[in-house]
Amino acid sequence: MLKIKPEEIKVLSNYIYNVSGISIDASKAYLLETRFGKLLEEEGCRSYVEFYRKAKSDTHRTLERKIIDAITTNETLFFRDTNPFELLRHKIIPELIDNRSGRGITNLKIWSSACSTGQELYSIAIILKELLSRNRTHKISLLGTDLSDAAVAQASAGTYNKFEIERGLPREKLHHYFTPAGGNWKIKDEIRAMATFQHMNLMQPFVGLGKFDIIFCRNVAIYFTLQDRKKLFEKIAHALLPDGYLLIGSTESLTGICPQFVPKRHLRSIYYQLQ
Amino acid sequence: MTLLKILVVDDDPVTRTLLAKRLIREAYTVDTAEDGRVALEKLARQLYDVVLTDLIMPGGMDGIGVLEAAKRINIKTEVVLITAHASVDNAIEAMKKGAADYLQKPINFDELFLRLDKIRNLKMLIKNALDLGEAMDVTEKRSAETIQNLEIMVAGLNGRLATIKTVLLKEEMAPETRILFALDRLNE
Repeated sequence: MLKIKPEEIKVLSNYIYNVSGISIDASKAYLLETRFGKLLEEEGCRSYVEFYRKAKSDTHRTLERKIIDAITTNETLFFRDTNPFELLRHKIIPELIDNRSGRGITNLKIWSSACSTGQELYSIAIILKELLSRNRTHKISLLGTDLSDAAVAQASAGTYNKFEIERGLPREKLHHYFTPAGGNWKIKDEIRAMATFQHMNLMQPFVGLGKFDIIFCRNVAIYFTLQDRKKLFEKIAHALLPDGYLLIGSTESLTGICPQFVPKRHLRSIYYQLQ
Repeated sequence: MTLLKILVVDDDPVTRTLLAKRLIREAYTVDTAEDGRVALEKLARQLYDVVLTDLIMPGGMDGIGVLEAAKRINIKTEVVLITAHASVDNAIEAMKKGAADYLQKPINFDELFLRLDKIRNLKMLIKNALDLGEAMDVTEKRSAETIQNLEIMVAGLNGRLATIKTVLLKEEMAPETRILFALDRLNE
């Protein structure tokens, strides 16, 4: 594999930061090589600088999208960490429904802001389906966004291979909510229809999203600089309804990041609400 | 990882013995079965990393039958089929059913050992990945506990500091009273 030169690391990581907000420090040079080695070959580039120039001059942004797909970490699984989903099932949803009852049809808007290949949003959809199936007075809208077009495309297709399916999904849920599709598994239409997926860069202003009841922003801010994390959660605070809930990754913290959010504990989980 | 444990299945005693002998010489742990039925009994009793089986065998259970039984008993058992040139198509069909590899007769032992090395490396990689995943899981759980406890603690302390500040700024109170109130809040 072609070695990346020290001066190329800076150029390429600056470029990646500009197009994605992902911050890669010089000690992670190996990451650039392992993630881009194959793409470099496919593009017929003989150096990382040439690769960068090609991406930069591509007005259709085809290479930029491929670079984003390659550098984003799509690690995800169904019901990742369990706790947030228990929290959703036993506290957040019942509480929100309680708060909103008496106002006619309850609208619930939930956003999985770095949805990767869709497992998080479909896990949420499954829980909502189980909780609210008999009650038709709820209008649910589930939005999943991700920086990677490839991830969004897979989420939209709702198709998973056996390795993805084996991670986190209990067997009875698999048979209940998925159908076999040529060696893979496809999410059933009734769940698929609950969710919408679209491409979005969290570094850019949130336009036309409206306000949400629940925002999941888990394990994505860790790839951003401190300053960008502050900006992101500031924007999220504006996108959350006054009694809404924010869930972040289990090892993430908002201390010193966004004073508008107050952490609250419920059993083994932490969630955040506006002050 | 120790060397692989292999079950050799072949109805031809000469091939079976030869295979077993060569594998033992390479320090593999080897067991043999003379047909599919015996293979099945052995597979049910103990775990093998690899089953090396002839594709065509008499007695109701051929190599495909052994493959299916081995995979059913333990999905992690890898099956390598041995086939005559004429039945390569069948071997390819077997690969679709989950066989790891196939070898053509006459057996080239160097080739066999290379295939076994590949299987061993793959098994080691899978084991490493699972170990890593497990280690990460534990680390993540522990750090999540610590971070979440700190998060709540810091929020509590910040709240207390804010109250203390408010108390200390209350100009209508005498300074000593403010300090006493502030100390009270601090000791809560």
